[in-house]
Amino acid sequence: MDLLQIDGVAAGYGNKAVLSDLTLALRPGEVLALLGHNGAGKTTALRTIAGLLPARRGTVTLAGTRVEAMSVAQRQALGLRLLPEGRGIFPDLSVAENLDVVAAANCRGAGDLFGMADVFGLFPVLQERRGVRAGSMSGGQQQMLALSLAILGTPRCLMMDEPSIGLAPNIVARIFELVRDLCVKHAMGVLLVEQNVAAAMKIADRIVIMNNGEIVFAGRPDEARAANVWHYF
Amino acid sequence: MLLLQLLVNGLVTGCALGVVAFSFSLVYSTTKIFHVAHAGVYTLAGYLAWSLARAGMPDIVGLIVVPVVCAGFGVVIQRLLYDPLAQRRATHLVVLIASLGLLAIVQNAIAVLWSPDILHFDSTWRVQTIKLVGVTLNYAQIATVVVSVALYGATLFATRHTGIGKRIRAVASNPFLAELTRLHPRRTYAMVMALASALVAVPGMLVGFDLGLQPYTGTTVLLTGTVAVIAGGVGSLTGAFLVSIVVTVLQNLSLLVMPGQWSVGITFLIFVAFMLVRPRGLFAAA
Ligand SMILES: Nc1ncnc2c1ncn2[C@@H]1O[C@H](COP(=O)(O)OP(=O)(O)O)[C@@H](O)[C@H]1O
Ligand SMILES: [Mg+2]
Repeated sequence: MDLLQIDGVAAGYGNKAVLSDLTLALRPGEVLALLGHNGAGKTTALRTIAGLLPARRGTVTLAGTRVEAMSVAQRQALGLRLLPEGRGIFPDLSVAENLDVVAAANCRGAGDLFGMADVFGLFPVLQERRGVRAGSMSGGQQQMLALSLAILGTPRCLMMDEPSIGLAPNIVARIFELVRDLCVKHAMGVLLVEQNVAAAMKIADRIVIMNNGEIVFAGRPDEARAANVWHYF
Repeated sequence: MLLLQLLVNGLVTGCALGVVAFSFSLVYSTTKIFHVAHAGVYTLAGYLAWSLARAGMPDIVGLIVVPVVCAGFGVVIQRLLYDPLAQRRATHLVVLIASLGLLAIVQNAIAVLWSPDILHFDSTWRVQTIKLVGVTLNYAQIATVVVSVALYGATLFATRHTGIGKRIRAVASNPFLAELTRLHPRRTYAMVMALASALVAVPGMLVGFDLGLQPYTGTTVLLTGTVAVIAGGVGSLTGAFLVSIVVTVLQNLSLLVMPGQWSVGITFLIFVAFMLVRPRGLFAAA
């Protein structure tokens, strides 16, 4: 069964329609990269799935449950999480406080959940900097923290909006490797929105390319490389 | 000894004002609402305590019951006024005007329901005094200092070290992410309003025990309080509390050289001086 299923979804802002008929499916343990040029509607799609923006038409199904009428918090309770673009941490709190506050609201303490100790195991640098104000860290460290916050409590479905923006290539590789690992170990499904097409193609199982709010290509990375899709970027 | 007495009086009033200021700051830094109706809650608390005292309750009952009632009032303000405005995407100016309107309603309702004139408590807080190195302090003043400092310390501790405190600071720091990580910003706003309203009720009562109650005094109190919040650095509880005390002490000392009508002017003079030296406030975060 699909983990996340988006069927005929329409969404937009005011009288501006951005998505008119979006259909997507994400399986457990899979990384699906959603690519496309700036303004294609990728962020809008993630916001609509997360519940920040209402779906004007169509259905969103998460692990068999229809969620398009649910609040953001209700969708999260079902295991859906969004790592938002560029705003993924609480800058005025220390690193440890960031993790504490999110863990308290999202971890249920069961053995298989991803907790603070696991975060420090993955990113030792965050343990070193645990007392530091999060907003004062480097961009790469902030993004490691943002990703840690997004996976605390092990969501079933993780959506990431341009997690690589502003990061050095070795850090991007590291974070993506980690995401890949979580998919395998926890059967987490990942919907990855990226501008960094090359990096996304490396970890994605499947690729969807959007243009002006519509899907213009769907297939495996090697198929995307073979097909002439580069003009969409 | 006049100097010392004025200094101590300033310290007492400054502590009470400090609680008004840091509780206002808590609301402002979390909800971004310039909650001027806070002055109405402050005033209402004194009158509720007065009525309880009139009904024969010991003052301590008022001191415990009134903050709880005010906490409820704060939640009602959030849920019935600020939440609906936020849902309709009202601008900051619209919310400010709504808050000013609520303040006017509360003050006028108090004048109608109780009295437009000054009311005094019959309690003994005011007449029991102690003398220390030539300075006279009544029990209400001593309680004001002790309780205000304790509330400041407790609030500071709670925001740093408790789960709810961290959640409040997280929502203040990034409300968008707070919504995405199940911190329930709307629920948190209601919690902050409850906490701040309970806090502001305490100086509302203690100052009333000492100086009596008037429906419209809260406005000046809040004005000085907001000056302290800004000069202390928005978001800093310590800045709000300490600058309240400093401003009030300086205001009191100015009575040595200038008549009392100038005290609001003095407040703003001090404010301008602060802002020239530290434009972002004394304790502003980096
Ligand atoms: N808050 C908003 N209000 C109005 N229009 C918006 C808003 N956010 C995005 N848009 C518009 O929606 C379209 C899709 O934007 P977006 O989903 O952010 O694209 P992408 O993430 O693919 O770069 C763009 O034309 C953009 O200008
Ligand atoms: Mg985008």
